[in-house]
Amino acid sequence: MKESGRTHPAVLVAIWVLLLLAPYWLGLVGGYTALGARVLVLGLAAMSLNFLLGFTGVLSFGHAAWFGLGAYGTGLALKWVAASTPLALLLGTLLGGALGAVLGAMLVRRRGIYFAMVTIAYGQVFYYIAYRWNALTGGDDGLRGFSRQPLEIGPWHIDIAANGVAFYYFVLACFAAAVALMALLLRSPFGHSLLAIRENERRARFLGIPVEFHIWIAFALSCVFISFAGGLYALLNNFADPNNLHYSLSGDLVIMAVLGGMRRFWGPLLGAAVFVVLQDYVSSLTTNWMSFIGLLFVAVVLFFPRGLLGIARRRSLA
Amino acid sequence: MEVPRIGAVIGRRAVIRTVATAGLAQLAAPFILRGARGDTPLRIGMIDPLTGAYAAPARNEVMGAELAVSRLNAAGGMLGRPVELLVEDSANDVGTGVQKARKLVERDHVDFLIGDVNSAVAQAIAQVAMENKILHIVSGGHTDTITGKDCKWNVYRVCNTTRMESNAVSDILFKKYGKKWHFITPDYTFGHTLQAALEANLKRLGGIETGAELTPLGTTDFSAYLIKARAANPDVIILLVQGQDMVNCLKQIVQFGIDKEVPIAGTQQELESLEGLPSEARIGSWMFEWYWNQPNVPHLAEFIADIRKVNKGRVPTARHWFGFASVMTMALVAAQEKTTDAVKLAHALSDFELPPEVKLQPNKVYYRAGDHQLMLSAFIGEARAHGKDDPDDLFAVQQVVAGDAVAPPVADTGCVLHWPA
Repeated sequence: MKESGRTHPAVLVAIWVLLLLAPYWLGLVGGYTALGARVLVLGLAAMSLNFLLGFTGVLSFGHAAWFGLGAYGTGLALKWVAASTPLALLLGTLLGGALGAVLGAMLVRRRGIYFAMVTIAYGQVFYYIAYRWNALTGGDDGLRGFSRQPLEIGPWHIDIAANGVAFYYFVLACFAAAVALMALLLRSPFGHSLLAIRENERRARFLGIPVEFHIWIAFALSCVFISFAGGLYALLNNFADPNNLHYSLSGDLVIMAVLGGMRRFWGPLLGAAVFVVLQDYVSSLTTNWMSFIGLLFVAVVLFFPRGLLGIARRRSLA
Repeated sequence: MEVPRIGAVIGRRAVIRTVATAGLAQLAAPFILRGARGDTPLRIGMIDPLTGAYAAPARNEVMGAELAVSRLNAAGGMLGRPVELLVEDSANDVGTGVQKARKLVERDHVDFLIGDVNSAVAQAIAQVAMENKILHIVSGGHTDTITGKDCKWNVYRVCNTTRMESNAVSDILFKKYGKKWHFITPDYTFGHTLQAALEANLKRLGGIETGAELTPLGTTDFSAYLIKARAANPDVIILLVQGQDMVNCLKQIVQFGIDKEVPIAGTQQELESLEGLPSEARIGSWMFEWYWNQPNVPHLAEFIADIRKVNKGRVPTARHWFGFASVMTMALVAAQEKTTDAVKLAHALSDFELPPEVKLQPNKVYYRAGDHQLMLSAFIGEARAHGKDDPDDLFAVQQVVAGDAVAPPVADTGCVLHWPA
């Protein structure tokens, strides 16, 4: 693996083979298909956050806001607009993406802790709207009364509503499309400018890169991706609730990104997998499962600041 | 031909690798075994928020369910099969709750589901249970819609609805304290629906509402709300907050001496909250959904004794009984029908009456056919500063009202059941 962050082709193949065959091997190791779908959705969310955190170098601590807006947008569209899964996903993504773009324009001049604090504030604003607006969002009880609909693509009828495996592949297809787009963006001149801003903002500015504009676009794109993930999450649960917008979820996403390795494209997916599987497995054994995640997180930050994927990289260099 | 030495064939690295793999397999064994275990035991999945704001009631529900399971197994199990209770933590989060429900259904192949204290999680689990045609008993989530407009053929509920709670106390509070009421309400759906139900009753009785303070969940300082409530000069202050908020609010009421000027009352009170209060703050008129100290109730003494054994000598709370009654309901109806088929069992539970060894209270206790709500008694009375018969005897029951006397008619719940063909 080179400094550019490009993933080795063999590793790429391994990732995709593992993901494609997940419904077949998950059961053998004590997992289940819905767990795989959850890893993909939260992995995509963490990768969207990492688009900002790892590749642009700004930390958003309120990204759950856009995740939750995507979830509510998708749920509301399925409930009130039309019983179409793709349309609902599109509307959910647009809701989160558009609000993210508008509000993002207001925070591009903030940096560091101030940027993080404003994003937390945004997150809590939407959290309380979802929590209090009972008539629209169902308040604390959450938004229910919608369910994902089977796909009708031309002559094909794909039942993602009742068939868990079919839904997994639907999520995987969405995930693949989103990460392909994300990878393309990062390899484009625009993506290189983002890396330049991350490495040395002042220098990038002197080189004539419109830094604020780039950060704004990166923020908006990150919101679009994470809203898409939020929409998938609503479809996965057939439910949206205010915790989808809460800052504690934002914190979990940051943990996933850092745990897996925030300088690596696939790091957040690995972090999400570790987080979700640990939560799923350890929380059945003890109610103190968060302590284990916490200990792992502390160990990673102290000893492997480049995350779990960073360990692999250090070994391959040595 | 020369025979190769063992060391040459099996290298040092291979040995280390084998040992390491064997070691890892030991660690992973429970993980793999769980999926591969035989289907012999009958499995009940229980999802409750064991961490977070509702941890205390959730743990008590699990304790009650465990007691029921151990009693069943001691008596030969359920349908001749041993019973296994698989407990999962929903952490008060819908996404986690749904994930745990799928895990229990898809991987562990549970035959029944129980849970959750959090109404939102309970409704989401009910959805998963219906998709998979599994009988689900909601043990401790009170929101009306579970047995109201979102009712489902496979979902039954043990605890009260908010409407039942408010109907149980309204007339009594009105007679006892007067017609000017002031509410202190938790600012989320549960509080809103409870307040609305009480307001409707107050209006019917011809009373006046002097105001309502909406307090965010997790409020620690109630002084501003309490001063406003006192200034409105009501006949009674109605507290609808729950859990730790109830504890904080009652403590401050006593500190400010408000209880000397205005009586304090409310709907649902829990033994867990009263136990968490200093003795001078154990005041007010309330309803309990179940109470342990009842005279002349058959089988109650054994239940109390059994819970004491596992609960550090403490008495059972309503939550213990909810967990116990949920498991026993499944065992009783399965034994009666001799099947685990969810549709047959759900039909059989319509108007199913709980026998004395399970209901542990007076009055007829049964699941109403129209909305699948358990008609359980309401225990109305006053908090006590010091335990009378036991340090935990903190509630003086004055009246026990039958559930069907306080439940709104089925037609008013908005429940329409759609049975699978």
